[in-house]
Amino acid sequence: MADDNERTHFGFRDVDTAEKAGLVRGVFDSVASKYDLMNDLMSFGVHRLWKRFAVELAGVRPGQRILDLASGTGDLADRFAGLAGPDGQVLMTDINAAMLVLGRDRMADRGHVGNLGYVQVDAESLPFPDDTVDLVTIAFGLRNVTDKPRALDAMYRVLKPGGRALVLEFSKPLNKPLEKLYDLYSFRILPKMGELVANDAESYRYLAESIRMHPDQETLKDMMTAAGFERCDVHNLTGGIVAVHRGFKL
Amino acid sequence: MTLRDFTLEGLEQAINRVLAMDPQASAKLGALHGKVICVALAGTGLQLYFVPGADGRLQLLGSIEGEPDCMLTGSPIDLARASDREQSAGQLFGGHVRIEGDNATARHFSEALSELDIDWEEQLSHVTGDIPAHEIGRAIRALLRETKRLNESASENLSEYLTEELRVLPHRYEVEDFLVDVDQLRDDTERLAARIALLEQAESEGDSKA
Repeated sequence: MADDNERTHFGFRDVDTAEKAGLVRGVFDSVASKYDLMNDLMSFGVHRLWKRFAVELAGVRPGQRILDLASGTGDLADRFAGLAGPDGQVLMTDINAAMLVLGRDRMADRGHVGNLGYVQVDAESLPFPDDTVDLVTIAFGLRNVTDKPRALDAMYRVLKPGGRALVLEFSKPLNKPLEKLYDLYSFRILPKMGELVANDAESYRYLAESIRMHPDQETLKDMMTAAGFERCDVHNLTGGIVAVHRGFKL
Repeated sequence: MTLRDFTLEGLEQAINRVLAMDPQASAKLGALHGKVICVALAGTGLQLYFVPGADGRLQLLGSIEGEPDCMLTGSPIDLARASDREQSAGQLFGGHVRIEGDNATARHFSEALSELDIDWEEQLSHVTGDIPAHEIGRAIRALLRETKRLNESASENLSEYLTEELRVLPHRYEVEDFLVDVDQLRDDTERLAARIALLEQAESEGDSKA
């Protein structure tokens, strides 16, 4: 990041810190309606396996309270609501109202009632008391957060002792050939797909760029440790294109 | 992330697609929301965890933390039979499938799956509309009846050929006659044995008198 504290990155662009949240909102307002379709297309459906893997690492038990940040259309929250049972509680959150409304409609269509709540929150300043949730997750969301250490601090704060946090996010491919192929795919093909399907090449160019600007496996693990998480581990998926970081509050 | 996750995802989607076609089964499974059912395939070391959601959709996990509410253990064949409506009682209570933990949950779970009853005509009607679906359904039922009839007449023809033309198999009446003859012979033999015994007895009594 630049030496000037007031600046941050938005993809490869250098923008004002105050500006980033608005720009990210613009991206998601634009892609919300085609979000699920694009996820399936872009990842060839593999995003379902990434999420499934994260869900097993979450180790949810009936009766737990779960906070899902940047829920999007709620793929994780959907599974958590099933696992937590009628006595558990899942809070589905997003900073973006369009995505949250979309997610809430989808959950209602799937017949989720009772143990699922919806809140529009900013991951950097969570409006929840300390030590109240068993699990906090953020899947493909941390990348878009302006002040990541602050978000990790907030996640740590709301966790009960013994609770755990999961960060599912794009990361750095583990070997060079895969990285080359991945670069070709994400800078040449992805924006084209975005243009054809969601009629928005820019947003998908941002997606590819924001992935490159996101901290790699080791850096993010160090950031989690700095936030106070213990026993942090990293699970690489699909050759490191995606990684799950897990940390505990002990 | 491995082949295992890929398989679980595929299996889960397939199961839920089928469940979606039977609202009653979904409702029964929905009542098990908050329970974890483990199905262990004996001999393979494989354990699958089924987690029903409030809407009756099942999540299929390869591992969980903590203990399942109940565990069904059996060979794949026994488990498959347990989910067959006609044989399930025998499988579950005949000891082929072992149940550990919460018995009621295990029973409800296997009942919901064994009573799966998919109304294909109704499913088809979502695509084609009611009337074409009914017509197609009628055509398929007629086709199934005809196939059954053809099957039956084919087996009749075959048995007739084997008994009447080739004469390699006896006719039913011949078999019955033969069986009657066998019965007659057995009875005659027994009567003869009884008469001999009687004569021997009479002779030995005559000896003792003499």
